[in-house]
Amino acid sequence: MKIHTTRFGELEVGGDEIYYFPEGLLGFGSVKRYFTLANPTGGPFEWLQAVEPPNLAFVVCDPHTFKPDYQIKAKKEDMESIKIERVEDAVVRVILVIPKGHPERMTANLQGPIVFNVHAKLAKQLVLPGDDYGTRYRVFPEEALAGEKA
Amino acid sequence: MLVLSRQKNETIMIGDTIEITIVDVKGDKVRVGINAPLEIPVHRKEIYDAIKRENIEASTVETEPLAAAAGLFKKAKADKK
Repeated sequence: MKIHTTRFGELEVGGDEIYYFPEGLLGFGSVKRYFTLANPTGGPFEWLQAVEPPNLAFVVCDPHTFKPDYQIKAKKEDMESIKIERVEDAVVRVILVIPKGHPERMTANLQGPIVFNVHAKLAKQLVLPGDDYGTRYRVFPEEALAGEKA
Repeated sequence: MLVLSRQKNETIMIGDTIEITIVDVKGDKVRVGINAPLEIPVHRKEIYDAIKRENIEASTVETEPLAAAAGLFKKAKADKK
């Protein structure tokens, strides 16, 4: 099917590539269908693009790219809701905020990861209860950047 | 807002399926136990709100800063070597 997007123009997407989010994303509960595409300008990024509306898209990334020890304890009922039975079914991505003009200040929402069931094409944004991870994790730590300037 | 007074170990029912029990009260801290069906998500509101806020901010992302961001990852990887 052809899908019109604001950022990438018209894309041809297979029906089997579309993920269904039964609850949508927090703040966007009515938008249930998304697909992913690799970032055209490279890097570890993917876009999570809504089928509708065309302007709704997020940049997502494998959290292990910048936080190798990232681990989530998903609740059984969360996994059941997207029919994940084995670890191999699941792929985890986190949403990034990349400030315009200041990509070095990008943050990752480690507290609200998205789990994709790559086989059943179901997905869900988790809300992690603990204090282990925040919503604004600095991908490039400030200290490292400060050190570079010195 | 409906306001009810409850003592420790007393419960409030919401509908037929949601039970909220006051487990403990210490100073200004109240521990609350919640029994709800699996399909009803239960979250601390401040976490829920924070994630929602981040989602809304993230959705305004443009394609333009991504190339520079990709460069930063490449550089970080090279620095490690």
